[in-house]
Amino acid sequence: MITTRSVADSTRRLILKSTVTAVLIAAASGVVSAEELGYPEKEELKFGFIKLTDMAPIAIAYEKGYFEDEGLYVTIEAQANWKVLLDGVINGQLDGAHMLAGQPLAATIGYGTQAHIITPFSMDLNGNGITVSNDIWAQMKENIPHEDGKPVHPIKADALKPVVEKYKSEGKPFNMGMVFPVSTHNYELRYWLAAGGIHPGYYAPHKGDTSGQIDADAMLSVTPPPQMPATLEAGTIYGYCVGEPWNQQAVFKGIGVPVITDYEIWKNNPEKVFGISAEFAEKYPNTTIRLTRALIRAAMWLDDNNNANRPEAVKILSQSNYVGADADVIANSMTGTFEYEKGDKREVPDFNVFFRYNATYPYYSDAIWYLTQMRRWGQIAEDKPDDWYIDVAKQVYRADLYTLAARSLVEEGLAKAEDFPDFDSETGFKPEQSGFIDGVTYDGSKPNDYLNKFDIGLKQGDLL
Amino acid sequence: MTTILDISHVDMVFPTPSGPFTALKDVNLKIAKGEFISLIGHSGCGKSTVLNIVAGLNKASTGGVILNGKEVSEPGPERAVVFQNHSLLPWLSAYENVELAVKTVFGKRKSKAETRDWIEHNLRLVHMDHAMDKRPDEISGGMKQRVGIARALAMQPDVLLMDEPFGALDALTRAHMQDSLMEIQATLNNTVIMITHDVDEAVLLSDRIVMMTNGPSATIGEILEVDLPRPRDRLSLAEDPQYNHLRSQVLKFLYEKQRKVDTSRPAKPAAAEAEEAASALKPAQDSSAVA
Amino acid sequence: MSTTISENSGPSGAAFLTRLGPWLLRVAKPLAAPLAGIAVFLMLWSMAAQQIDTSLGKFPGPVAVSEQFGNLMSEHLAEREKETAFYERQEIRNADRVAKDPTYEPRIRAYTGKETFIDQIVTSLVTVASGFVLAAIIAIPLGIAIGLNKTVNAAVNPVIQIFKPVSPLAWLPLVTMVVSALYVSDDPMVPKSFVTSMITVTLCCLWPMVINTSVGVASIEKDLVNVSRVLSLKPLTHVQKIVLPSSIPAIFTGMRLSLGIAWMVLIAAEMLAQNPGLGKFVWDEFQNGSSSSLARIMAAVLVIGLIGYILDRAMLLLQRRVSWDKKSALR
Repeated sequence: MITTRSVADSTRRLILKSTVTAVLIAAASGVVSAEELGYPEKEELKFGFIKLTDMAPIAIAYEKGYFEDEGLYVTIEAQANWKVLLDGVINGQLDGAHMLAGQPLAATIGYGTQAHIITPFSMDLNGNGITVSNDIWAQMKENIPHEDGKPVHPIKADALKPVVEKYKSEGKPFNMGMVFPVSTHNYELRYWLAAGGIHPGYYAPHKGDTSGQIDADAMLSVTPPPQMPATLEAGTIYGYCVGEPWNQQAVFKGIGVPVITDYEIWKNNPEKVFGISAEFAEKYPNTTIRLTRALIRAAMWLDDNNNANRPEAVKILSQSNYVGADADVIANSMTGTFEYEKGDKREVPDFNVFFRYNATYPYYSDAIWYLTQMRRWGQIAEDKPDDWYIDVAKQVYRADLYTLAARSLVEEGLAKAEDFPDFDSETGFKPEQSGFIDGVTYDGSKPNDYLNKFDIGLKQGDLL
Repeated sequence: MTTILDISHVDMVFPTPSGPFTALKDVNLKIAKGEFISLIGHSGCGKSTVLNIVAGLNKASTGGVILNGKEVSEPGPERAVVFQNHSLLPWLSAYENVELAVKTVFGKRKSKAETRDWIEHNLRLVHMDHAMDKRPDEISGGMKQRVGIARALAMQPDVLLMDEPFGALDALTRAHMQDSLMEIQATLNNTVIMITHDVDEAVLLSDRIVMMTNGPSATIGEILEVDLPRPRDRLSLAEDPQYNHLRSQVLKFLYEKQRKVDTSRPAKPAAAEAEEAASALKPAQDSSAVA
Repeated sequence: MSTTISENSGPSGAAFLTRLGPWLLRVAKPLAAPLAGIAVFLMLWSMAAQQIDTSLGKFPGPVAVSEQFGNLMSEHLAEREKETAFYERQEIRNADRVAKDPTYEPRIRAYTGKETFIDQIVTSLVTVASGFVLAAIIAIPLGIAIGLNKTVNAAVNPVIQIFKPVSPLAWLPLVTMVVSALYVSDDPMVPKSFVTSMITVTLCCLWPMVINTSVGVASIEKDLVNVSRVLSLKPLTHVQKIVLPSSIPAIFTGMRLSLGIAWMVLIAAEMLAQNPGLGKFVWDEFQNGSSSSLARIMAAVLVIGLIGYILDRAMLLLQRRVSWDKKSALR
């Protein structure tokens, strides 16, 4: 196993070396005008991650030698929770990390922790799910239409609403878990609940209320991803929204049932990003470009040949130092399927997207969507003009760095130009998107208009 | 006779919860060079306090001690002490115990070889040269006390202070030790103050026996000259009328004049405890040793 | 005694057997009870494991755990192979770069791979040893000062009494933050997490060592102090020749005590702070929640116990060697 891999490695290295040499010769003879990418200023790096399958690009870039190809010597370290991870990047213990998309944004605008964090690389699309306990599932099931004995998907929160109301009338708080106040999971869970008429509660940081449970029908609180199944099993929460493999784990353990994936809440929603501090990017420009190059190559590998490499990726991720869950649990979602109720395995080919659909390009409109959700739930307490949203997005989502990295890969023949957006004309704003579970459309250039479209949530002019 | 040590008007008052307690009152004693003095008295009479004041371990409340014309203010090696419980450092061998004393007292004044010779000489004197490298827990009580004596002798003190040196030993060993001590004394002719409970020991070893009254306010009751010729032999002395006379005089002092009636002292603890607490050298032997 | 029997029984084979019998008996007798104990434990464990169903499958029995020991070992060996390959690749890369850029001074960077079980054991051991030594360096002089001087004792005692019952884990967040704030360096000699763990160990070793040392010093025999006074030893000589040796048994008792606590606390601290070491290994495995996780955790538990036992025995042996008071080091 190891020997074959290292043989493959060395072949690849040879190819790479010859291409590098070719480029160098070309550069020396003055044929290629593009400025040559310098050696990394900082070579020994430490990256943090949370045990989730969407950390895959980092693991692959390491295991496939992409980091080393860039002259980077990277140590990868699992972190206890998102807070610890973010603090690590801020205080320099970590050079970069697998982050929730909301984290660099929230840190930059000073919600929670104040620090200028940027991202040159978006890590994936989709990949999350909402799981409820067996007991809640049994109660929900009565409200879900069935076809051929199987529940019809996507399941809306409308089916959960009577259950939540029953708990409410009995005076029992309906507790649910998400992984971090500014996590995708928090916003997705809220989106799903609100779309079904269940109020997930407001934040009011200007009044010192960061619990996010004002006016809430469902009480959302933070639990680190790997502890979700255990917390559900203990009965502390009735459901949760988390990334993989922790939804599939609940199925395997027989303690809960995933009801919906985030793909069904918002088709091809942006998920994690790779976060570094702005200071790091400024101090080590070559290192920043090079690590982005390595991550892009890893993402390409992950989606290559219609997910052909996914089984190998699963094997790597199941190592105890990465995600560490059993390979078959990880494989369940990573290889294009998703198991809902035990035995109800359905095809979700785009459950985990790492490269196609320009998944790795840091779109400003993606950043703005997260900012709108922060505003919708009160994390951003006051009104902001549209310009503010766009400015913050451009400060944090560094499409310029991504473009440099991608272009140099194309120049070296390591990637094809058609796999990337057309950098000359790309604005960083996706055209108006549909594909949300509630049918609302999203145009990133008009955030305030977007906010006004929701029944539940703060709108322009609202202040708690 | 030249007076080497002068104890004059020594009072010792200890503070106790129930007011000051006078342990010693006006103790006066002059000791000549080369003299062997025994201090005898009932338990708690303050013998140890006297010795400790001479050693400098305790300070007299009033009065003082003059040694060689200089007032004693703190402990020092010129007043070597042989403690009742040998007080050897348990982590050092016999040789090393003596060595610590020799090196501290003589420092660089003795060369390495001289130091070594001097230590061995003193251990030989107490017949411990065969067990020099043994540690205290490897030798008997008598042997430990021999090493303790060797350590004190090795300091070449002006006065050798011995606090019931043989009190913790069995009778047979004690006799051996007394003989050894006499033998050493015959060679070195040290000035010695020795506390004892043992009347025979006092008579056998001493030039003078200082008998102390019972406390509180204990003081010197009588002093008995022991003019038995030296060298003394315990077997022949047993038949000696003069020896027996001296012996009975001491006994008379202890059991007639200073009879200790336990029932008459209901408040004994306050006094005795104060003395015991203040005395660094607790008498481990009870007064039965007198009998 | 056995020789007389063998002389009578003639042929050497039989003689050997008759001699072997009593020998076996003599050797086996003291081992019999512990071995039986272990056997019964393994049996009970195995039986109990069968009965416990967790969401991660059956509780691991001895067989599953020994299997994981094998896996952990082979993972370690595989990682070492990867390490060798890593260095080889680096040499080549460095050589390439030098060829292109002769001014470049090649550097060898440390291996970046994962820490195996064995690596984590080593990390924990190094951490506990460093924290322990640091504690001793602080605690023993402090304990001596407290034991010698009643005023110092009165001054320091309330502080010690208040801090002594505090679990060092309560300190952990403070230590973490303080270390982060004060230990800043671009190229630190040791990682911050190591410093944090080490200081936590030091904090929990400190109090038993200080207290035992001070009690040892304070309860030094009065006669020995008098010997020192009669010899007019200088204060430093007094400490060196009398106080220190005399309190060695008490000091070592304190050290043994604190090493035991330190080892337990370290594992917990590593779990809590995610600092490298056996504690992190346990926590990571717990988080992984794979079907082999429980067996691997159980393997770690056994190793933690074994190391704790070995540490205690090692301290005991050291105490016996160093201490003059054999009684204090009996158990």
